Amino acid sequence: MLDDQPYRDGEVTVGGVAVRYRVAGPDNDRLPLVLVHGTAGSIDGHYGYIFPMMAYRQKVIALDWSEPAGDTVELADLVAQVKAVIEAEVPNGPVTLMGYSLGACVAAKVAAEMGNKIKNLILAAGWLKTDTHQKMRNDVWRQLRDQDSASITQYMTFCAFSPAFQNLKTLDEMKAAAGMLKMSAFVDKQMDLNTRIDIAAECETITAKTLVIGCTFDMMVPKHHSKQLFGAIEDARYAEIPSGHAVVHERAAELFHYVDRFSAQPDQYEAGAIIPAQKP
Amino acid sequence: MTTVTEILIIGTGFAGLGMAIQLKRTGRDDFIAIERADDVGGTWRDNHYPGIACDVPSHLYSYSYLPNPDWTRVFSPGPEIQAYIRKCAEDEGILPHIHFHTEMLKSTWDEAKKRWVVETSKGTYEAKILITGTGHLADGHMPNIEGLDGFEGDVFHSANWDHSVDLEGKRIGVVGSGASAIQIIPEMQKLASEMVVFQRSAPYMIPRWDREYTEGERRLCRRDPSVIDEMRSEIFWAGEFNFAQRRNIPRFLNEAKALAVRHREDNVKDPELRAKLTPDYEIGCKRLLISNTYYPAMSAENTTLEASALKKVENGKAIAASGTEYDLDVLVFATGFEAVRPPFATRIFGSEGISLDAHWDRGMQAYDSIAVNGYPNLFIINGPNTGLGHNSVVYIIEAQVDYILGALDAIESQKVEVIEVKREAEDAYMDKIDRMSQGTVWLAGGCKSWYVDDRSGRLTLVWPDFAHSFRDENGTFHPEGYMMNSAPVAAE
Ligand SMILES: Cc1cc2nc3c(=O)[nH]c(=O)nc-3n(C[C@H](O)[C@H](O)[C@H](O)COP(=O)(O)OP(=O)(O)OC[C@H]3O[C@@H](n4cnc5c(N)ncnc54)[C@H](O)[C@@H]3O)c2cc1C
Repeated sequence: MLDDQPYRDGEVTVGGVAVRYRVAGPDNDRLPLVLVHGTAGSIDGHYGYIFPMMAYRQKVIALDWSEPAGDTVELADLVAQVKAVIEAEVPNGPVTLMGYSLGACVAAKVAAEMGNKIKNLILAAGWLKTDTHQKMRNDVWRQLRDQDSASITQYMTFCAFSPAFQNLKTLDEMKAAAGMLKMSAFVDKQMDLNTRIDIAAECETITAKTLVIGCTFDMMVPKHHSKQLFGAIEDARYAEIPSGHAVVHERAAELFHYVDRFSAQPDQYEAGAIIPAQKP
Repeated sequence: MTTVTEILIIGTGFAGLGMAIQLKRTGRDDFIAIERADDVGGTWRDNHYPGIACDVPSHLYSYSYLPNPDWTRVFSPGPEIQAYIRKCAEDEGILPHIHFHTEMLKSTWDEAKKRWVVETSKGTYEAKILITGTGHLADGHMPNIEGLDGFEGDVFHSANWDHSVDLEGKRIGVVGSGASAIQIIPEMQKLASEMVVFQRSAPYMIPRWDREYTEGERRLCRRDPSVIDEMRSEIFWAGEFNFAQRRNIPRFLNEAKALAVRHREDNVKDPELRAKLTPDYEIGCKRLLISNTYYPAMSAENTTLEASALKKVENGKAIAASGTEYDLDVLVFATGFEAVRPPFATRIFGSEGISLDAHWDRGMQAYDSIAVNGYPNLFIINGPNTGLGHNSVVYIIEAQVDYILGALDAIESQKVEVIEVKREAEDAYMDKIDRMSQGTVWLAGGCKSWYVDDRSGRLTLVWPDFAHSFRDENGTFHPEGYMMNSAPVAAE
């Protein structure tokens, strides 16, 4: 007998496209937690662990991005989708907002624009301004995509996971995992957006109590980006997880630990604190 | 003669010894640990059956503050763990504090003296603070088998292995299919002329990622101990990940199930045997077992799987519940431990003169999994709601030791004579545990297991959440839950 956690699906229309979201978990003294996934992600793909586990603790809302009309995707498009979900589901009172990867850039911009509505902010493996190192990786990706190379998903997987994690698997297992990744025109547009991120000015205006989470072995968004966010956001504290970029898979439980603690007690660490890792 | 000490610890397994080490390290010297056996180690001293090993990787299943670069395998054999515990006791100067061959028989709270009076097999002790580290799997459970007295061969329990019995070429019966049984069975299969396994219910089994560490890896751990920290972190959080299975979340439960099914199908080719080895309950509501050698041993020519319990012994024959009779030379009982009603609880009497066992007539419970109303100045390590289905028990023990150190700090700084948990605080904690357990595999998995107390249907042994949240919630002392007095505590 499985535990059928009750959940509810919702939908809002933003710029003419439907944006679907999911809500679960009890109302209690914690603020509702809104989850924003990253590039090529989805609720299940990036929050398959965090969403149901957090929903045992509190109310959780997560959305799947929808492809906006137009030739490109802009940060503003994704920001509008997140805002619409928050306004529909939590018309009154503040929320805790979490973003992962590109979703962290989106969440940071939402926090800058919505002010007090976003009381607490969690940015996992996000970045402030795309740098040359990221552009190099993205450019190789672009070439593989243009060549319609079968190697593209393996390349993405190689970049996403830490060496230590890959070494727990065999080459065949890693290839099989890569085979699950799906390319699409929408993913192409997200990859293009990734080359053009610059939220430095917005981050200076964020007032939310913020937890920045960097990943020690991240080859896609190396941890210096999280350090930059930690510096740029006034009320930020920093934690680091020894994982690759795919922290939502590699170290899902440790990520849960930080998200859970911060959601329960945002004041536990003061601004500027570097949160020590739990030494088991 | 009465021996007086500030703090008395009962037991010297990972729990009691860990407590003693931290007392010493925090500058407290006025303590004694009593131990009924002749050595430290508890579980790892008593269990020396062939094949014994831990099932949490050794680099995590050890004290965080005493890392061991020399583990020879990912899952170390039992004797290596026992040697490690022994070395910890020696290196930390604890042995002089231990009174061996000293069994706690009866502990009584003396309201007038504000002391625990502890009667033992070696005389009486008096202590202000009593800490139990008597283990949750310390007393072997022997099922009541009709006619067992009439069995002419050798009989022993896995936790009390009789190494004087020569097993080579014998007809061996193994009763049980739990964590110990699955380690014993592959060893017995190698020795026996015939082996019969009495299985009441089939376990879920997944592969064991075991291997030897090379000399180079061990040297690296010595040269750079941060490598051990990294391994601990990796093992711990991988274990934590699996809590999602216990939480009964379909996606993760199904992943674990798929792994178990594949393991069974890869290793057991005979369809009839495979059917018998297929569990009829949800994965994870009993312990998820790990072994690479169990299925091959069960598939061996000299093995018979009796898919029912051992019922009785008659005319020298072992008779299963199915009615099948077996001629055997040896019966090994790998039938687990007295966990739901731990024997130590029958021996501890609180301020109203009632034993903990009687007090717990609806099942064990304790505030913060450590203290019981009506039993002042008592802390229980590894007691109610501390068990884990998915991670290292030593981690829980260390959190509880930290809690007690915090309590001792408060007692010392505020000159507290009597500390007793408030009834409301204990009840509120148990309500929280009940809420947390709803929907977990232990309650909703559709299997009867020793995790659940029959008398109340409550989860009394297991901590029904992540291990890390145990430390977050119960790893520091909560003074607000206690009455702390230098005058007598008023009766309620
Ligand atoms: C075969 C086996 C394998 C296990 N493998 C693992 C594993 O891989 N990972 C894991 O996390 N856990 C494992 N466990 C659980 C294990 O019991 C705990 O991890 C841990 O060893 C418990 O330590 P403890 O000090 O609480 O209890 P114990 O080790 O049981 O020690 C209790 C001590 O108290 C003494 N004692 C009891 N009553 C009295 C009395 N009245 N008077 C005086 N002394 C008394 C006993 O003699 C004993 O020395 C295993 C258990 C078993 C049985």
